[in-house]
Amino acid sequence: MTAKWRLSEIIVLSVLAVVFAVVYLAFFQVGNVMVGMMGPIGYEFIFGIWFIVSIIAAYILRKPGAAFLSETIAGVIEVLIGNAVGPMLIVSAMIQGAGAEAVFAATRYKRWGLWVLMLAGMGSAVTSFIWGYFISGYGALDPGYVTLMFALRLASGAILAGLLGKWLSDGLYQTGVLNSYAIARDKKKGSYGKAS
Amino acid sequence: MWLHTINPSIKLLAILTTIIVLALFLDPVLYLVFWIGLIIITFSLSTISKKTWALLTAPFLFMAIGYVWTAMLFPYEALLENEQVLFEWGWLILTEESLMRSAGLGMRVIVFSALSLLFVLTTKPAVFMLSLMQQLKMPARLAYGIMAGYQFLPLISEEFQIMQRAQQIRGVGRPQTVKERVSQWKSFVIPLLASAIRKAERTAVAMESRGFTGEPRTHWYREIPLRKRDAVFAALLAGLFIVSFTVSSIMK
Repeated sequence: MTAKWRLSEIIVLSVLAVVFAVVYLAFFQVGNVMVGMMGPIGYEFIFGIWFIVSIIAAYILRKPGAAFLSETIAGVIEVLIGNAVGPMLIVSAMIQGAGAEAVFAATRYKRWGLWVLMLAGMGSAVTSFIWGYFISGYGALDPGYVTLMFALRLASGAILAGLLGKWLSDGLYQTGVLNSYAIARDKKKGSYGKAS
Repeated sequence: MWLHTINPSIKLLAILTTIIVLALFLDPVLYLVFWIGLIIITFSLSTISKKTWALLTAPFLFMAIGYVWTAMLFPYEALLENEQVLFEWGWLILTEESLMRSAGLGMRVIVFSALSLLFVLTTKPAVFMLSLMQQLKMPARLAYGIMAGYQFLPLISEEFQIMQRAQQIRGVGRPQTVKERVSQWKSFVIPLLASAIRKAERTAVAMESRGFTGEPRTHWYREIPLRKRDAVFAALLAGLFIVSFTVSSIMK
């Protein structure tokens, strides 16, 4: 998957994963408190934040595999940092990354508007929810309650991953550090078009 | 010490398989027996301190309680119809089976956390990455990229502190309201990400200029071996599962 990537792209991917692995773990503490108070639904409000690295990495690098790999690496790094959710995080990260990747693949990695990014966040929400249904045993809960959880997760994926991810990447683009990546190439093409 | 010497890839796969198999059941007795067995294995075969283990388990206990009361308050009602009602108060209905399901969901969280701790507390990060490359064939470019990124962790947190102090010196106070907190967070996150990306680029140039191409390797400076004990470890988990399953079937 990474055979045609530049080494700098791979390391940028890893560094993004490192930064967001820390963010993910911080939110895990928040989520834990919310789950203790509100039950499993407590996670759903903030669940989208756990998809954000795949949106950012794919939006910046615009390559097949960026969404899946960045999320997977973030999962590996969360395990390297040594938290108690441990190895299972790698599997759930892969599943979340695959959801976003599927949406980007459906656009053939050609469309990078806000809607696509929000849909990608929702794609992660769908795959992660199916997995959560199995692994956390939501089958024992009231279907209405589970539907509410799912709706919240979709909204959270669209907003916290899609919208926030685009906003962060655009802010980062303005600093100029992304000038040698695909995001800059496409944006410049766009602005030339407008000028002429 | 024994658990610390198991091959990390095998340990990872064995634990993941166990978690997935356990998720097929929703049986508090099975989980409880398995959990007790895990604790015995963890403390007799490793040097994990009991205090660390307990501290890391505590948040999951809290989470498990959240799962238990949610499952009691919002049960899948179609399941309740043919069951023996133990307790009824307003719209809260508890049956024997629904109590077992609730306890099962809670115990599941606790068992999974014990399995995870068994991995996390007995595995060194660098050995884990080397094993991912050697046994699970992770591409070398990716694995060394991850290790390079992982090295930045302390640097990034140091940079965060520097930025915080710089802001304080210039008279930016501690955030009081939520709005201030958000705007302060905004002033940190983009500079931190930007500098992380610059560091990544410098590292990539440095690695390439020292001749790192990331070709697949056949020889390793530090080999992570596969040994008999890895199979013993997998068998141990499988055996523990069979024991828990049997105990739970007898209890029914």
